Amino acid sequence: MRVVVGEDSMLFREGLVRLLADAGHEVVAAVGDAASMEERVANLRPDLVIADIRMPPELESDGARAAARIRDTSPEVGILLLSQHIELRDCLNMVGTPGFGYLLKDRVLQLAEFDDALRRVADGGSAIDPEIIRSLVTARQSSALEVLSPREVEVLALVAEGHSNASIARRLFLSERTVMAHMRSVFTKLGLVEDGATHRRVLAVVTFLGAQPDTPTARAPIDHPGCARSSGRTGVPGP
Amino acid sequence: MKAAQARALTLGATVAWAIPVGLAGYLAVRGIDGHGWSQFAGFLPELLTPGVCVVAGWLVVRRVPTSPTGPALAWTGGCVSLALALDVFTLTGLYDAAPGERSIAAAAPGLWTLDLLGLLVLLLVFPDGLRQGRVWRMVVPVYAVATLLLVVALWGTRKAGERLEGGPTSGPRVVLLGIGLALVAACLVAAVLSLVLRYRSGDEVLRLRVRWLMLAGAGIVALLAAGWVLAIGFDTSMDLAYGPALIGIVILVPTAVAVAIIHYDLFDVDRLLSQSAAWTVTVVASAVVFGLVVLGVSEVFSRSSGLDLTAAAFVTALVLLPLHRHVSTAVARLVDRDRFVALAEVERFAADVRAGRRAPEEVEAVLRDAHADPGLRLFLAEGEGWVDLSGNTCKEPDGVTLTFGGDAIARIWSAKDSARARRRLAELARAAAVPVEVCRLRLGLLAGRARLIEATVAERRRLERDLHDGAQQRLIATGMRLRRLQGGLDAARSAEVDVAVAELEGTVAELRALAHGVRPSRLDDGLVPALQAMRASTPIPMDLDVGPLPDLDEVQLLSAYLVVTEAVTNSLKHARATHVGVRVADRNGRLCVEVSDDGIGDAPVVTALTALRDRVESVGGTVTISSPSGGGTTVEAVL
Repeated sequence: MRVVVGEDSMLFREGLVRLLADAGHEVVAAVGDAASMEERVANLRPDLVIADIRMPPELESDGARAAARIRDTSPEVGILLLSQHIELRDCLNMVGTPGFGYLLKDRVLQLAEFDDALRRVADGGSAIDPEIIRSLVTARQSSALEVLSPREVEVLALVAEGHSNASIARRLFLSERTVMAHMRSVFTKLGLVEDGATHRRVLAVVTFLGAQPDTPTARAPIDHPGCARSSGRTGVPGP
Repeated sequence: MKAAQARALTLGATVAWAIPVGLAGYLAVRGIDGHGWSQFAGFLPELLTPGVCVVAGWLVVRRVPTSPTGPALAWTGGCVSLALALDVFTLTGLYDAAPGERSIAAAAPGLWTLDLLGLLVLLLVFPDGLRQGRVWRMVVPVYAVATLLLVVALWGTRKAGERLEGGPTSGPRVVLLGIGLALVAACLVAAVLSLVLRYRSGDEVLRLRVRWLMLAGAGIVALLAAGWVLAIGFDTSMDLAYGPALIGIVILVPTAVAVAIIHYDLFDVDRLLSQSAAWTVTVVASAVVFGLVVLGVSEVFSRSSGLDLTAAAFVTALVLLPLHRHVSTAVARLVDRDRFVALAEVERFAADVRAGRRAPEEVEAVLRDAHADPGLRLFLAEGEGWVDLSGNTCKEPDGVTLTFGGDAIARIWSAKDSARARRRLAELARAAAVPVEVCRLRLGLLAGRARLIEATVAERRRLERDLHDGAQQRLIATGMRLRRLQGGLDAARSAEVDVAVAELEGTVAELRALAHGVRPSRLDDGLVPALQAMRASTPIPMDLDVGPLPDLDEVQLLSAYLVVTEAVTNSLKHARATHVGVRVADRNGRLCVEVSDDGIGDAPVVTALTALRDRVESVGGTVTISSPSGGGTTVEAVL
């Protein structure tokens, strides 16, 4: 997999580049600011760009903004944002859309998990940090999620994080068939439409959980820029 | 009036004054027909004094060449000099020396009106020329006719000491005398009336000028009253008693008129006038009291003794101060009404502030009202610079500086820029010094607290960044290094590395939680996401109701967030609440945060949440806490 890394901390960048190389990925560029990152992505057409959210020049969410622009100009490039803490400004409407991931930086240390997330994102799937999903689930727990059993909530959270049925089954020590049964139950109880495609069910679940703060009660996927684009994506193999 | 005309007239007055003086001086030195030095020299001071009028006249002519006041002033002295010269003629019998002089001497007793002619003209033309209208043009001719009548009536009369000899006793000459005196009186009344009318219809400057003349008048009345007291109380000779008043007329009037024309803004004439008028009334009233007591005591004891004077002095001393205080207030209200009313308003306000009835911040509005200038601005000294009442920094303003304990605490700007207006404003400002200083201190306190809060907020942000971008990054980088080393290790050592990495991850999570406590990074996403994240981590159900919000700066953002945190924590810890509601809304451009719970209530409203209250108030907000027993607690903060 060809990867572009954008990360301003040299220590972290070098470590990441080595880890990626060890895992067999080809790091085609590793830069320290948002502008060079955008430029390299445009020139090198990688499969994936890994970007720190806070980067020069402004040390605000420059990385996230650059990612949004990359999404506009090169929709086929997978985007994985890394951050020290949860900060969804400027990337909220990408959360849950295909080919997008958002992880806390320390997830890098779980090599297998991290590699799995990289591949999912590069393949047009989704990888959302459990921390984000947990806060969304907790926020909704008091109302809409009351109808679900604890196990169903666990399944729902893993779906939202972007895992496939197989991955969920492995994590929960269940059979894949049981996971699918739970899924159907969850979707029926919440009134969501299940169409089988993993990347679309992630978006449905994330939107339901209310990643968008202005519409905490939105039940169905609403005006979501990522949606429209996802149908335009080509050459994305199904999971 | 043309400048040349004014100069010629003034020159004439100078000659009219100089000839008698020169003559008397010449005669005093040379002596004539048995009249020696002492006889003429005795007149010299009296002849010289009107020179003050002449000098003042010249001063006015120089500075304001077209004003008729200069010549009129000079002639006030000139006329007095001429009248005196006539007196000298008649009293010393000099007219005997030459045959042509006899008729002058015969006419002299009727020509005493000359004494007042200059003053009459001065009153008519001061300060900017004769008034429009036939009546005023008629005054001087009528005065001339009256003088003629008096000359005819008193023809041939001789002065002997202080009495007239050979005056009219009956017949048409008495009638003529009566008509003449009545006309003279009418002319004087008309002159004074002209001045009064002028004052009433005049503008600010004219009034100020007339007030100077009034000041001189009040001084003369005071001197006369004092002379009267001396004369009846202490049997002083008439010359000693009334001399000062007469000299006062010749000196005070020209001085006042000259100042009025040349430099009417010289002193606070309103105040001088008001005070001298007050003293005049006090002196007259004391004199009356004195006289009455003397009269009463000598009636009772029916003999003259030291007792009556002592008693009178005692009683007068007793009533003097309270009398003067009351008279001052009354006179100030009457004579200088504007200033009195304005000052009273400011003083009342200052008293209200002291009593806690009004807020000191109203001081600017009160000064505007009192100074009748809606554009007036009050600036407060703050550190090295200046701020307005809202605490906005301003560049060094112009205006009247107010000091308090030796330090400049405020500067007041007003569009009214005359020296008098500035003096008045300074006086008003002094009356308002305490409220102004209170405003300044309060503002300084708020600004200081706001700076502190701002610094704290910035510091929190910096600390949070340092934790995230410094320590956390390094720990993770170390973890990555360990992971790379792990590849070549056997199972047992690899497990050790797993443990080490897990430790690092735990530390990173701890640092993240610590940074969150310092400043939740979700605030970067805005207040609402941060509150939603808080809801996610609150153990009891929390309703979040968010309306459209105004734009928030970092301080407001963090303050609002911390208000909610603190109130919710309080509900959890002390109120035994099972449900908490958070409402955030825009209230007229201000951020309103309300946290209510269903707990036991009864929070100590004054002492509860002190830190919260401090925090909100230091950024200019307000906190209301209501906590009825058993009725839950509601904390409302408006930022």
